Amino acid sequence: MWRQVRRREVDKALFEAMRLELRRGSLVLAVLACLRTERYGYTLRQALAADGLEMEESTLYPLLRRLEGQGLLTSEWREEEKRKKRFYVLSPQGEAMLAALTEEWRGINASLDRML
Amino acid sequence: MDVIERYLEAVAAQLPTEDREDIVAELRDLILSRVEAREEELGRALTDEEKEAILHEIGHPLVVAARYRKGPDSLIGPELFPYWLFGAKAGLIVIAAVQALGLLVHVLGAPADFGRAISQAFHGFFSGGLTLLGALTLAGAIMEHYDIKPTWLTQWRVRDLSAFGLADPAKWGASMAGSDKAKAEWLPKGAKVWGLRAETPRAAEALWSLIASAVFILWWIGAINFTGLGAFSLRGGEVSVTAAPIWSLLFAPILAWVVAGMAVDGITLWRPGAGRLRAFLKIPVAAAGLWIGWRLFEAGHWATLTQGDQTARVVGGTTNVSLEALRAINEAGRGLADTAMTLGSVLSWALAIIMLCLAFDILTQMWRIATVKDC
Repeated sequence: MWRQVRRREVDKALFEAMRLELRRGSLVLAVLACLRTERYGYTLRQALAADGLEMEESTLYPLLRRLEGQGLLTSEWREEEKRKKRFYVLSPQGEAMLAALTEEWRGINASLDRML
Repeated sequence: MDVIERYLEAVAAQLPTEDREDIVAELRDLILSRVEAREEELGRALTDEEKEAILHEIGHPLVVAARYRKGPDSLIGPELFPYWLFGAKAGLIVIAAVQALGLLVHVLGAPADFGRAISQAFHGFFSGGLTLLGALTLAGAIMEHYDIKPTWLTQWRVRDLSAFGLADPAKWGASMAGSDKAKAEWLPKGAKVWGLRAETPRAAEALWSLIASAVFILWWIGAINFTGLGAFSLRGGEVSVTAAPIWSLLFAPILAWVVAGMAVDGITLWRPGAGRLRAFLKIPVAAAGLWIGWRLFEAGHWATLTQGDQTARVVGGTTNVSLEALRAINEAGRGLADTAMTLGSVLSWALAIIMLCLAFDILTQMWRIATVKDC
């Protein structure tokens, strides 16, 4: 009941801004995790959405290029369904980064769980 | 041309040439994948309006292209922004102060041109302010783009932080406020002005003295002119005032005396707590003032008034500092000779009071040297 009352009092615009801020840091981790399996942009977005993380294309595609530039992903152009598509997958460096970030994420999660 | 190709062309125009083809190919695949998914859902081909709705969801070409851009996302990033903001605030305050001082000098020099002086001050403030903001933004953008990190950004020291009060209008206002009550209106409780507690008026006095001395020097060297000093109206016509030779003789000593006073004011602002040092410096300055005053009394002839073919000498001296001289002012007429006599008596009294204050200042500073222990 108390939680419901508090929720009703929340400023919607402020909540949306804070929610986006909260999500922003976790998106890189989600993308790296999804790319343990090779995917191209459109199917990656669908996979993220299926797990409850909607992501705009205008954010996802530049992020993929940035991660590739940082050496965490590798990519390859291949023809599929009569069209050339760019497939992304974790590089060995990306796998190590995913493991380190997962550990960090679990630590933060555990700390927040104790506080909340 | 198809709406999708037109959209991609608009995005491509904003992209760096080396990556353009690659990014556009990937975007095209994304858009076509979404179009196909939607067509499959509806069981028919999409109209141009429906395709445009998908492109709207993806974003404006400028925004989409900007996300692919390498380098910083903003002209001034969050790390540099506080420095930019400080520079802008402090610079604008300094420009406003300079323009206000210029306005004051203009108004005193030529009261008839008040409207033009106000307009010039506003123009000066806005053009100076816009130039400052433009220069700061350009410098910040270059630092941001090339990832330049000067040492003052990373290796700052606590002892250098006092200058940051420059961006606080409350501190400027408080430092110029004369009385403690006026200071309290500017300052939050317990705040400091140039390192002094609000109840100490020394810094404010020094600042005002510095400004007044600067204006005097500008007038003394002829950089500015105050109308009414060189000529005034009297019954019977315009009277011109010519300075006596003693002023040419004392030109350099008076200039040096005011500059020395400004130096003491500067030290007061710079090290407000150095009471003994200030006292040591004030004594010779006050003594020099006494000497100049004494030379003026000795000279006697201070100015000559001319009206038509008539002249009258403004004579000052210790004999004018008397009750008889004051009574004579009361009985004086409005002729040229009587006006010269009145001026001589008034200026003699004024000079005597100034010299008395200087003598009192010397005694005060000697007492301070004996009692104040800081340096």
